[in-house]
Amino acid sequence: MGFATAFYNTFAKRNSVYVTSIFAGAFAFGIGFDVGVSNLWDSWNRGKQWKDIRHKYVEGGDSE
Amino acid sequence: MAAASLQAAKKYATLPPTVRTLASGVPNAPSINLSARAQDAHHHGHAGRSDVPPKWAGGYQLSSSGLVNKSFATVPATGVFQQRTMHISAPRRDAPEVPDLSAYQASSASSNRALSYFVIGSMGVLSASVAKSSVTEFLGTMSASADVLALAKVEVELASIPEGKNAIIKWRGKPVFIRHRTQGEVDEARQVDWKGLRDPQPDEARVKKPEWLVMLGVCTHLGCVPIGESGDFGGWFCPCHGSHYDISGRIRKGPAPLNLEVPAHDFNEAEGKLIIG
Repeated sequence: MGFATAFYNTFAKRNSVYVTSIFAGAFAFGIGFDVGVSNLWDSWNRGKQWKDIRHKYVEGGDSE
Repeated sequence: MAAASLQAAKKYATLPPTVRTLASGVPNAPSINLSARAQDAHHHGHAGRSDVPPKWAGGYQLSSSGLVNKSFATVPATGVFQQRTMHISAPRRDAPEVPDLSAYQASSASSNRALSYFVIGSMGVLSASVAKSSVTEFLGTMSASADVLALAKVEVELASIPEGKNAIIKWRGKPVFIRHRTQGEVDEARQVDWKGLRDPQPDEARVKKPEWLVMLGVCTHLGCVPIGESGDFGGWFCPCHGSHYDISGRIRKGPAPLNLEVPAHDFNEAEGKLIIG
């Protein structure tokens, strides 16, 4: 109840704030989605990617 | 609660006794028999009470729902004034077909509103990110692909060019002159009063490091390739029409209008490489 009212008063009361927060949320969502999918990919393919096995083939792994 | 709703369902409405009267003064009541007559005056003695309204004005009827009193006309009070003790109200239900919808009603209007805005906003967030990534991906198809970008640059090992020597490499289909200038050549290029030249440009603006001069080897006149370490000014000489360039690649004599062009280039200090492009 209090949360719902706070949400309405914070975000939805003014349309300018509402639309702005929607766009900001879309931006944040895009970044978060990319990071999340990349992490999922890396964990799914752990041990198969070049960055995981590079140290076996290249001397001194930290210098490019 | 149940008792209150029961009370609310039974409301009494007082119906108007009649609608309108005809020209004859008889109330317009189509469902009654107007042929009925009031009792005549000569029967007055046997008529009993004088305050009984005539038959056509209403009366009691036995119907399926019980005894119903109907009053069709506004009958003027005859004889003595009589308080009407029987009303014509009928119990009326308030929309009895509508079921009880209170179970479906939102418990709180404010949380309902917040949920609606939240759902709409979430949809907006998803649509905006979909639109943004669509536009981004579409614009990405317009930019150069990675293999084209890789071909557009060239790396030169600077240690392979000794001081005082020229190197000519091919970059994007054109020759590029790289001159490892000696200190004397640098001094010579910087002593020139460049403001009086045809294409005035200081040597400092043409090189990133004084000892390395990088230019496109295309004569600005008609596009021949000049010859290095020749000409009147110790720089380049175009054999086609005789343009002379100095040790900074600036036009000094001949038909060419501009200095030799300097491409975008950068130095990789760590590996001693020159990157053109």
